[in-house]
Amino acid sequence: MSIEAIGAIAPISLEPSTAAVAPNGSFAAWFDNQMSTVNQQLAVADAGMQKLALGDASNLHQVMIQMEEAKLSVQLVLQVRNRLLEAYQDVMRMQM
Amino acid sequence: MDYRSAFAISAAGMGVEKLRLDVTALNIANMNSPKGPDGELFKPLRVVSKLAAADFSSQFSALSAPLSAMVPSGHVEAMNVAPRFVQDPGNPAADEQGRVQLPGVNHLNEMVNMMSALRAYEANVVALNAAKTMAQRALDIGGGA
Repeated sequence: MSIEAIGAIAPISLEPSTAAVAPNGSFAAWFDNQMSTVNQQLAVADAGMQKLALGDASNLHQVMIQMEEAKLSVQLVLQVRNRLLEAYQDVMRMQM
Repeated sequence: MDYRSAFAISAAGMGVEKLRLDVTALNIANMNSPKGPDGELFKPLRVVSKLAAADFSSQFSALSAPLSAMVPSGHVEAMNVAPRFVQDPGNPAADEQGRVQLPGVNHLNEMVNMMSALRAYEANVVALNAAKTMAQRALDIGGGA
């Protein structure tokens, strides 16, 4: 039996952590990755709906939760896209 | 923000409550079934829910683990209750004294179980909706307002 949980309470420090390194890979690759994740979740929700329609879904709440997860993921991607477009338009409106 | 772990916690609770409701429905459905051809009388079942980490040391170390490692799970076990006897000489399952053995399902207990399972399920749904609302509010950050 370990008492490591107590060690988890680290002293609060205001120094910036050195762990914040720039993620490698481009933004496009990250966005592509996120899009494929969202697509996967949509496919899972779709499969759940299909099973429900065919009458062999074991539980209803699992399907509903999958649908909610897919919805939230789409909304997250939408927000990222909105911010991106906003930044782009800000740059384009810049006066030279 | 990992909203999916909150969903998984609520989903585990909902699964246990659904199992509880199913078992109660099965008990009620078999309330009046006499012995089958194999001579076995239906035994009323009940759901025993337990933590995923059941013994003390694993629970203690689970304190530092993510919350989703402590979700409940239910398993079904048979209750050892005495059968009840009903006087029904015309029944083919009756013995020499005209009595029929029926499972000792406690109707009152089953109804209370059903209600509590229903309410607990509703509570889980509310918790999940709260988690969803929280995630949606987080997506509202910085939105035009």
